[in-house]
Amino acid sequence: MRKLIEFQNIVKSFNDSLVLKGINLSIHENEFVTLLGPSGCGKTTLLRILGGFISQNEGHVYFDDIEISNVPPYKREINTVFQRYALFPHMNVFDNVAFGLRIKKQDKNTIEQKVKKMLKLVNLEGYEDRPVTLLSGGQQQRVAIARALVNEPMVLLLDEPLGALDLKLRKEMQIELKKIQQEVGITFIYVTHDQEEALTMSDTIVVMNAGEIQQIGTPTDIYNEPENRFVADFIGESNILEGVMLEDYKVKFDDQVFECIDYGFEDNLEVDIVLRPEDIDIVPIEMGRIKGVIKSSLFKGVHFEVVVETPYREWIIHTTDKVEVDKEVGLHFFPEDIHIMYKMGTY
Amino acid sequence: MVGLKKHNFTKFFILIGVLSFFYLPILSLMIFSFNDSRSLTSWSGFSLQWYQALFENREMMTAITTTITIALVSTFVATVMGTLAAIGISKSRRLIKELVLSVNNFPILNPEIVTAIGLMLLYSSLNIEKGFMTMLLAHIIFSTPYVILSVLPRLRRLDPDIAEAALDLGATPLQALWKVIVPMITPGIISGALIAFTMSFDDFVISYFVSGNGVKNISILVYTMSKRINPTINALSTILVVIITIVLLVVNLYPYITKKEIKEAE
Repeated sequence: MRKLIEFQNIVKSFNDSLVLKGINLSIHENEFVTLLGPSGCGKTTLLRILGGFISQNEGHVYFDDIEISNVPPYKREINTVFQRYALFPHMNVFDNVAFGLRIKKQDKNTIEQKVKKMLKLVNLEGYEDRPVTLLSGGQQQRVAIARALVNEPMVLLLDEPLGALDLKLRKEMQIELKKIQQEVGITFIYVTHDQEEALTMSDTIVVMNAGEIQQIGTPTDIYNEPENRFVADFIGESNILEGVMLEDYKVKFDDQVFECIDYGFEDNLEVDIVLRPEDIDIVPIEMGRIKGVIKSSLFKGVHFEVVVETPYREWIIHTTDKVEVDKEVGLHFFPEDIHIMYKMGTY
Repeated sequence: MVGLKKHNFTKFFILIGVLSFFYLPILSLMIFSFNDSRSLTSWSGFSLQWYQALFENREMMTAITTTITIALVSTFVATVMGTLAAIGISKSRRLIKELVLSVNNFPILNPEIVTAIGLMLLYSSLNIEKGFMTMLLAHIIFSTPYVILSVLPRLRRLDPDIAEAALDLGATPLQALWKVIVPMITPGIISGALIAFTMSFDDFVISYFVSGNGVKNISILVYTMSKRINPTINALSTILVVIITIVLLVVNLYPYITKKEIKEAE
């Protein structure tokens, strides 16, 4: 795939507080990229720099190999779906969607055809004459998407577009957005703080924290091989512990030595270790690699969230089996379930 | 039951009392504009002679034209300036915003007579001949702050993303202003314009001090006439009351009419 957008060393500060600390990132054609991170990590700021609504203090933004830092938003081939939709309340659905085309002075028939086609794509056929203020949140969202896509941009920016919807609608829209992206075949850059949303839709996830990129990778990479404690913690619940990498394939934590599949670290290096709650099994005490007492068990719908206490820590475990509280049990996991990471700031 | 009725009666009595206190003077003024004689207190028969006299009185017709021209032009200029100023204020930084707003509120809180004397002294010291233009300028000056104050709350309620959305869809800043921002703050602009118009239309104090060369608006004319008062003034006032009533009716009924249309359209 061709490289479409490149951020080079983007630095941005607001009132002396550094929001972006030198971002380098390339985005390709037809890619669904998600900028994921907690609020205040700079993901929206980066998106707004690309949209042209604010400008960076340092660094360059290239679009199709052309520097666009000084191009105003109305001349960029980029459209945005805003967090609170930002529909024009004094216009009906048709006029909202037709806005961009009318600005470009396209002829009436073309506009009508394109708008109709777009409304069909977002499942809003027959809503042309409705005032947008009378639509539900989900419908307004669809209008916002249609209004942006009708301009046939090369890149669509989406700023937490599903944040205001309820859980069920959000899941439906996730699937629908992914479908729309594949149908129109353009680059989507999606900003969210919801890790599940990011894992469901993205081709590439960019995890950000405190103005820096923590990891770039596919959803499976990010989930299975987080690069540091922050990523592991942010993407789903984890048991994160400290340990020492004794040598290749051998790690020591909680005063025990475990076999693992990681290698290439310095010997005796202090590391962070991730064990996902669903990778740990509760077994009879004699079969466990670690022994502990079940402290609590919470029903979560699909699974139970069980907390097991050992002399060193509390483990979070997801299991579909019902367990007895206060029972002594063993914990079992395989070498490949142990994931070793460099400590933050040491690589 | 009896007590309740008595209570209702008292309420009704107070209501009638208040209404008549407000409207009887206007009603009497309107009735006596049709009086056959010169008297403003005793009725001697119906006639339209005062209306005829009004339209034949050249001085009065000039005053009416002056008043309406100044009101229309000053309203237009004040509305455009005030709206643009309000948009600018809403986009400025907090400190500048508060500073400009205090400056804006000053002429509103300031006694009119002070503004009047101030303007008069300014025109005299700059050797500007007082007349139509000085009065027009003064009217623009005192009505602009009201437009700003009535447009600002609308802008405050505006989603800041809206303007960005327009730019994002390819509109230049000017197109965004004209096609998106202005239509959304139109109610504020209209109420600002109405305030500006009425302020200008019935202004006396400031107009009296900044006018000259025989340029008079209605208020000044009525004031100079009041020593030798006659029912032409009643006729003029009646026409004004009727016009204002019609304007108020239209302004207040307009939202209902359009709403009904929307409902029927659905």
